[in-house]
Amino acid sequence: MALMQTLALVAAALLGALAFPLAARSSTAVLSDNTPAPDFVLKSTDGRNLRLSEYRGDVVVLSFWASWCGSCRAALAELNSIAAGTSADRPVVLGVSLDGDAGRASSFAQSLGLKFPTLVDAHQAVGRLYDVETLPLTLLVDRDGVVRGTWAAAPAPQAELTQALQEIGQ
Amino acid sequence: MMRQPPDSARRLRWLAWASMLLVAGGTLVAGRAGAEDPAQQTRVVDQDVQDLKKQLIDLNRDLFKLEEEILYPASTQVAVFLSVNVGTFFALDSVTIKLDDKEVANYLYTEREVQALHRGGVQKLYLGNLKAGKHELVAFFTGKGPHELDYRRGATLSFEKAVGAKYVELRISDREASLQPEFVVRQWD
Repeated sequence: MALMQTLALVAAALLGALAFPLAARSSTAVLSDNTPAPDFVLKSTDGRNLRLSEYRGDVVVLSFWASWCGSCRAALAELNSIAAGTSADRPVVLGVSLDGDAGRASSFAQSLGLKFPTLVDAHQAVGRLYDVETLPLTLLVDRDGVVRGTWAAAPAPQAELTQALQEIGQ
Repeated sequence: MMRQPPDSARRLRWLAWASMLLVAGGTLVAGRAGAEDPAQQTRVVDQDVQDLKKQLIDLNRDLFKLEEEILYPASTQVAVFLSVNVGTFFALDSVTIKLDDKEVANYLYTEREVQALHRGGVQKLYLGNLKAGKHELVAFFTGKGPHELDYRRGATLSFEKAVGAKYVELRISDREASLQPEFVVRQWD
């Protein structure tokens, strides 16, 4: 009986040890503010390869979207107005399409007249890196590559985004 | 007879001492800051901060080297480097490396990275471990070739991994006679 109890305790301890990394992961989600934005490189619809870390020194607004996502359209239109601004210190806007098909992403971007690069995450590897669970997902990354704001499931409210940009000196 | 501690253990001990020294240095800086006039204090603190920064960079470099030594010991280490010599006939987009038919690296190059390679930079594309014996490395290069045409080429190297570290270089160069790019895989002795 004592042996059974010991075995049960060892099994419970092992299960706990195995479950711990998952628990730790959820408590330190990549998307939480003030954490470094994971670096990635993706091909854009115009054929260039763009790496996030090469934008250090610039404020970056990163937006994950897909052509089948209804509210992404509004989010992208809003970001387009930021990208089309004439201010010299306007942020860099990067869109990441999770469509998995460069052709579809490109035609969707063209139909919206996007004035910022559309990156194609064909295998959703970057989507997984950023724990994208809902679309659209917008992130504000400061000049040091640190996430300073996230907006999920709906377009980032213009006022909130403007205020966040002002707070980081943009 | 006393056993000598392994190299990595000695290094770790040394790093622990260095960290303690850094902390002690920081305490000293704080102590000195309170003793002199403000202008001099600022200069002294600034100098001390610069010294500490330098020590931190050195410490970080040593940690990096130590990590590499532990994860990739010389007996099993294999490293693949990429260089570009002129490269006017080929605009590099990506490189994929297969070792013994298993994909181990896939790298997409940005414009800035390609420029750095053209200026003479050498990139460490892959670092890993391999058992001693015969192995095969296949590298696939994709990009734009002459006349802006999509270009994909492969280069293969069969090599014997001995006890020491193995270094392999992938080199992209121009073959002037045929106006075509050339992809060479060679071992460093």
